[in-house]
Amino acid sequence: MSNASFQEKRILTTGNYACAEGAITAGCLYFAGYPITPSSEIAAYMSRRLPQVNGTFVQMEDELASITSCFGASYTGKKAMTATSGPGLSLMAESIGLGVMLEVPTVIVTIMRGGPSTGQPTNASQSDVYQTRYASHGDYEIIVLAPSSVQEMYDLTIRAFNLSEKYRIPVIVASDGIVGQMMEVINIHSNIELVERKKPQVPPEKYKPFEAFDDDLVPGMAIAGTNYSFYVTGLTHDIEGDPQMTPEAAEVLIKRLCEKIKKARPQINDWEEKHLEDADTVILAYGINARGVPEVVEQARQKGYKVGLVRLKSLWPFPDELMERIGQMGVSKVIVCEMNNGMIIREVQRFQHLFTVSGITIPTTIPFSPKFIYEKLIKEV
Amino acid sequence: MTRFETRIAGYGGQGVITLSKMIITASSLYEGLAGTQTEAYSAAARGGKCWAEVVIDLDKTVKVIDYPKALEPYDFLIILSEEAAADVKPNMIKKEPNTGYLIWDNSTIQKVRAAKKVDKSLGIPIQKMAVEKFGNIVYGNSILLGVFTILSGIFSEESALETIKKFVPSSTLDRNLESFELGKQEAIEFLNRLKEGNN
Repeated sequence: MSNASFQEKRILTTGNYACAEGAITAGCLYFAGYPITPSSEIAAYMSRRLPQVNGTFVQMEDELASITSCFGASYTGKKAMTATSGPGLSLMAESIGLGVMLEVPTVIVTIMRGGPSTGQPTNASQSDVYQTRYASHGDYEIIVLAPSSVQEMYDLTIRAFNLSEKYRIPVIVASDGIVGQMMEVINIHSNIELVERKKPQVPPEKYKPFEAFDDDLVPGMAIAGTNYSFYVTGLTHDIEGDPQMTPEAAEVLIKRLCEKIKKARPQINDWEEKHLEDADTVILAYGINARGVPEVVEQARQKGYKVGLVRLKSLWPFPDELMERIGQMGVSKVIVCEMNNGMIIREVQRFQHLFTVSGITIPTTIPFSPKFIYEKLIKEV
Repeated sequence: MTRFETRIAGYGGQGVITLSKMIITASSLYEGLAGTQTEAYSAAARGGKCWAEVVIDLDKTVKVIDYPKALEPYDFLIILSEEAAADVKPNMIKKEPNTGYLIWDNSTIQKVRAAKKVDKSLGIPIQKMAVEKFGNIVYGNSILLGVFTILSGIFSEESALETIKKFVPSSTLDRNLESFELGKQEAIEFLNRLKEGNN
């Protein structure tokens, strides 16, 4: 795929290339990564593309170095990204928490393959949904987006950068081996809104790196090496950035780190919905596995079943408000379809006081076909 | 249903994946139809059992393909290796007018057992033609694109020619265009035989 082709408005490309070009569009100027199937094309593309925009590409010695060097790059004021798959994300696990603690905008792309362990490197899965949420130790919130098409690999990667800049947090784009590798035509829009991180709101002598002045609880971020001198640490810290080992310091910091994401849920959460107005049963799916659902819903409706559809485009923070709305709208059953042994379904089950929850949760490598989902559906409605 | 399901199966290195990319380029990029291409990955694409699929929606108002994998029964099945031939069952191919084609390379495959029970099946000595006429098996792809263009009818000849120009080095363009013509002729003759009822 030649780089020049991205100057066209409509291009035919793969999910991984679209993701990488989305990053360039978002203003990414640093990529550090270690190749891993089925994500390697993102790194390969960035290695060619970043030098063209005066950016920097580094193939690191491993995933630990990849993610932490992105944090360093981000603290110099550049937008940074790494890309990997499940086993690589395992190696990045500790540092995801560091990124949350340092409040450093970074985008992490994971192209899910089969697992556990080496699993099925060349196949797809949705088995790392929990990993994206809970990889790191400690009490934290994180943002995870779930593209289901090549177009969304482009769009949601841009959105991931915007969210990471806005909320000063690592944002994970969780795709899979099929979306990453498949080809579709995408539209490159000319007017894309880009978000830049909040700058320090006070002069250097008054600057405290973790002091949040606004309702969004996000502190202004200084660039390392400027007049703003500051110190950041993975230790629990106060607004000055200094380590603090008191119970109060833990409570204040953890509450703010979690709250800034929780309270932004309405702005972060994103989904596609269809026929909810009269739906009695809703099929909930995301990523590649949602692609068979629209056909099933239309087929069922033609037969008179009142079926609706929800496709999550963001997985974490989980859209509690959407579940409450579905309940209030009179939906009596939600069927969760996912290519794992049941992950998002457990989140949906928290709302069993509003509707019954059932699932088609299979740790397979091929998205559920419309025929398969339809057969399961008519047994339930 | 306006989905057009295509599957190509063979072994890695035969151009299975390239042909699928040519088909989606002609139909989606140039013809403006929604499409999704998926392919075998890694070792499979480098000498092992290889496959690629293209789903195209013939309804121009459709913006995206729902389910991205080709679903049986196929509109178009291209078989390029003995191993892939052994997997073919007659009910994998649509039994409808103007669609449901089974095409195989009879210079590399002895027999496709299922072919007898498929109305529109055609063996073409693709590899042999490519080597004898043009000196290289790589021209098989353009031959097959010619066959596909005529039989599927899902994109114009112009779109197919644009695609060839995009895919092949300019030094081999003439030979690829000739290969494309050859494939077209095979397909036209086949359609005539079908009309006369002596396939």
